[in-house]
Amino acid sequence: MTLFAALFSHYRRHPLQLLALAIMIVVATMLWTGVSHLTHQARASFGQSEQAVAERRQVVRSDGQSVAVADFVTLRRAGVCVMPWLEVQRPDAQGRVVGVDGLAASCFAGAGEAAQAWNQPLNGKPFLDIRDAAALTTGPDDRSAELTLLVAEQVTEAALPEGYRLSRFSLGPDTGELGESFLLNLDALGVLVLLITALLLRSVYQLGLAQRRDSFALLHRFGVPPVSVNRLLVLEMALLAGLCVIPGVALGRLLAGLLGSGFGQALDNLFDAPLYAGQEASWLSSVLTMMAVVMVVCLIDLIRPVSRAPVMLLAGQRQSLALAALLLGLALAMVASSLVPVFIAVALVFVGAGLLAPILMSGLAQRLARAAPDPLKRWHFAEFGVLARRLALPLVALQFALAMVLAVQALVTVFEATFDEWLSQRLAADFFVEVPAGADSGPGVDWLAAQPVLAASGDWQRVVRGEAELMMADAASHSETGPGQRVDLLAVAPVGRLLTQWRLQAAADQPWQAFARGEGIMINEQLARRQELAVGETLNLTVADETLSLPVLAIYPDYGRPAGEVLLNAGLLPAAFQPGFESLSINPGDLDMATVVSGLQRVWQVETVTVRNNERIRELADTVFDQTFLLTRAMTVLTLILAAAALLIMGWVFFSTRVWYYRLLAVWGLRDREVAGQMVRLAVSLTIGIAVLALPLGIWLTWVLVHRINPLAFGWSLPMAVYPEFWVELIGLSLLIGLSIAALMRRQLQQPATIPASAGSLSGGDR
Amino acid sequence: MGQALLRVHGLAKGFRSGSEQIPVLADLALTLNQGESMALMGRSGSGKSTLLNLLCGLEHPDAGVIDIDGQHFDGSQAHDRRAQSRCWADLRRQRIGVVFQDANLMPAMSLLDNVRLRARLAGQDDLGCLAWLERLGIGALADRFPDQVSGGQRQRAALAMVFAMQPALILADEPTGSLDRHTADDVADELFRLQAEHGCALILATHDAELAARCGQRLDLAHLSCSAAPSPSSMSSTSPAPADRSQ
Ligand SMILES: Nc1ncnc2c1ncn2[C@@H]1O[C@H](COP(=O)(O)OP(=O)(O)OP(=O)(O)O)[C@@H](O)[C@H]1O
Ligand SMILES: [Mg+2]
Repeated sequence: MTLFAALFSHYRRHPLQLLALAIMIVVATMLWTGVSHLTHQARASFGQSEQAVAERRQVVRSDGQSVAVADFVTLRRAGVCVMPWLEVQRPDAQGRVVGVDGLAASCFAGAGEAAQAWNQPLNGKPFLDIRDAAALTTGPDDRSAELTLLVAEQVTEAALPEGYRLSRFSLGPDTGELGESFLLNLDALGVLVLLITALLLRSVYQLGLAQRRDSFALLHRFGVPPVSVNRLLVLEMALLAGLCVIPGVALGRLLAGLLGSGFGQALDNLFDAPLYAGQEASWLSSVLTMMAVVMVVCLIDLIRPVSRAPVMLLAGQRQSLALAALLLGLALAMVASSLVPVFIAVALVFVGAGLLAPILMSGLAQRLARAAPDPLKRWHFAEFGVLARRLALPLVALQFALAMVLAVQALVTVFEATFDEWLSQRLAADFFVEVPAGADSGPGVDWLAAQPVLAASGDWQRVVRGEAELMMADAASHSETGPGQRVDLLAVAPVGRLLTQWRLQAAADQPWQAFARGEGIMINEQLARRQELAVGETLNLTVADETLSLPVLAIYPDYGRPAGEVLLNAGLLPAAFQPGFESLSINPGDLDMATVVSGLQRVWQVETVTVRNNERIRELADTVFDQTFLLTRAMTVLTLILAAAALLIMGWVFFSTRVWYYRLLAVWGLRDREVAGQMVRLAVSLTIGIAVLALPLGIWLTWVLVHRINPLAFGWSLPMAVYPEFWVELIGLSLLIGLSIAALMRRQLQQPATIPASAGSLSGGDR
Repeated sequence: MGQALLRVHGLAKGFRSGSEQIPVLADLALTLNQGESMALMGRSGSGKSTLLNLLCGLEHPDAGVIDIDGQHFDGSQAHDRRAQSRCWADLRRQRIGVVFQDANLMPAMSLLDNVRLRARLAGQDDLGCLAWLERLGIGALADRFPDQVSGGQRQRAALAMVFAMQPALILADEPTGSLDRHTADDVADELFRLQAEHGCALILATHDAELAARCGQRLDLAHLSCSAAPSPSSMSSTSPAPADRSQ
């Protein structure tokens, strides 16, 4: 115990060093907790958004009247698992919100995700508790409010009481793999944040050791074996971690809450544990993860002395090893044909880049120092080299954080644009009218074609979904004449603006005109990739009993649809074709939608037709996706802020060991402002330098996520985009970090300093 | 008889410790002519380093007047501290060389680059810098870094630095304080030899009576000082690691 007291006495004399150490642990913990919490929220928000657009089933009254609360009661009494879903228009065009009843959803348990999505806090973006939604309505006969009763998948028509039947309920198509892909990317970034956290903790630990080498040397001289010193150090670190991790976790959650939602909600998240399940579990897992990371960071140093010889590499060897890792990673990422090697490649590139960055910076500084004719410039570069080496760990953490932020920004922007396109592709028209079961679309189509107002001001098209069989025309590669490949068939006619506004990935000359004339087909990206098909190739398509031989006119992106799909002019469909699903997409233009609906009801001779309002769906989907992207951006901002804070703390601690030497400049006659200028130049060139090194890493990471990981995992690629304005923002941010470090340095310069005991590295005399 | 390079009178300085003001120097007067040397004596905490700091403008006096190298500084004129600071900085840059007990060199630069930097700042040509190192017997070490040479060699390099700037006055704060007897004597020999050769004035703070005896004048601060017995903080004030400063 006396040994422990001796060790700890260092911190009694230097309480600020202990404080810096503690703050760093808190900061690192805060980062990890905050990010994992935000990821969790983003996931939940994504689950909700998927629920919003996923297709489910609802119970409707057989008499065509809309359902009311009484129907809910009747159905629940009959033991049918139903969940009320109340859509309300908020006043003053604040958009629509959806009230859901999480409790009622609990009988959906077998349905898995569906129920889980409502187990999350409902924050009105756009989901809220059904009680709050009901409070927004003006009364029982509020026309803007719409009640739907969703029903679990396992409920059959037979289980329903008299007077009810099942019907399709769909706000929009399933996001499918587009959503999965987003979540995978989110996970990959989570791993990266853990790496950054580990780097920060490691820098803390090394800082602690470096400051106390002299005390250790003293203990050693008194005959204390290094092993027992190490053991005590681990104990001390564990104690410190135990004390700091819990407040770090609390702060991380608070911060994540602040960034992800309003302040009130943040407090709720923090203190109102019963609000959602799994709260305690996530507290515990955050605390345990961080403790584990702290301990690993310490233990690595304990193992090291035993195997010191092989681990200690010469600087040159380390450099070539890092370079080899970097090059190997880059090459592997290019050629890898499955996900695991790509992830290994990412790890190699980050390790290589992390090791090389400080070497590169200090090497460049040394070269510049040698070349500089002005001794003061020479001093600047030499000093820059020392800082780059001594602050390597926090600098690399900042580099990784910057690279990650860059990649996330590009990725989120790309996803946002993709979701947008995806939504507009699927929700092109304002309204979808389902062709009733048993009815023929023909009379409806004829009726629409006969409306002059619609022709002049609106758009419409008939959409048919079904299946077809695909065979390659050049049988050479598919000589074994087995059954062809099953593909989804999407048939559309007439070809109008609803279709021609689709974005195409590759196309022949004037593809839409040829398509309208029935001279070809279009295929989705998934099919093109899987079958290695290109524009211009001719395909044999068997639809019902007929085989059509048509060239590929274009390839269209169809994010997240795992199945291959062929787009065909509906005019080419053989008479025997049985559609799986048929609808009319309508932009009514100057025509009233009510007129359209009643006209169609008349020609089809039905009492009700199912009309889907796409505008409404779009609005809801946009709100939920926006929330998800907001959370993801918040996660990156958090990473950046905390990495910057870490560099700030480390810079400050390191600087305090070197303040005497910076003061020498003043002793040698530099004016206060000149000395301050030198500090600013040093700190700023350090942070800008690392930001510049982070740029290629970030761009590469974006490329890997978009062009390697996504296609390998899902078979389709996202468009790659770079945002140079954002680079400028990041560089600006690094400038700000540098200026803050310089300001801290300057404060220290104003306090008195005494001569270091020796010029050795113990007292800041490193070179 | 040289002309007065430095004339000080009524100089006073104290430090604030909590709420009370602890006086260190009071009503101090001294005169030093060009080419002359003076030893500052006194026990630890008597204010030797404080006086040297005042004489090169690193600290501001509470009262008193300093006339140095044709410049006039009035401690009572606290309002133009800024302008005074700039004047002092210019003096330190070209006219006043300061040597501390240790850590006089920038650790990231070679001995030669250190001398060059100091000479350049003083407006001197840096071509003669290697010659200075040679004159101090460490020409062969010119490309070594401060942590690659001994303490005595570092102090020699520090002397090369101040002489390379061709100063009018050298302020040396226990320049041999961290060296063993033999090395200390060698370094001191060099200091006095070069000082005599170049005709610059020297103020040397030291505990070493032998060293003090070699100076033309001696000023014993212990007799003048108003400070009481050395406090623990002043005992340790020259030795703690710089990391200690962070508190
Ligand atoms: N910045 C400061 N703040 C407060 N007190 C100070 C400061 N600098 C010096 N002192 C005090 O002023 C007194 C004189 O200190 P100074 O360093 O001048 O002594 P010294 O004669 O150089 O001692 P030594 O021989 O140990 O170097 C001491 O009591 C010291 O504690
Ligand atoms: Mg002193």
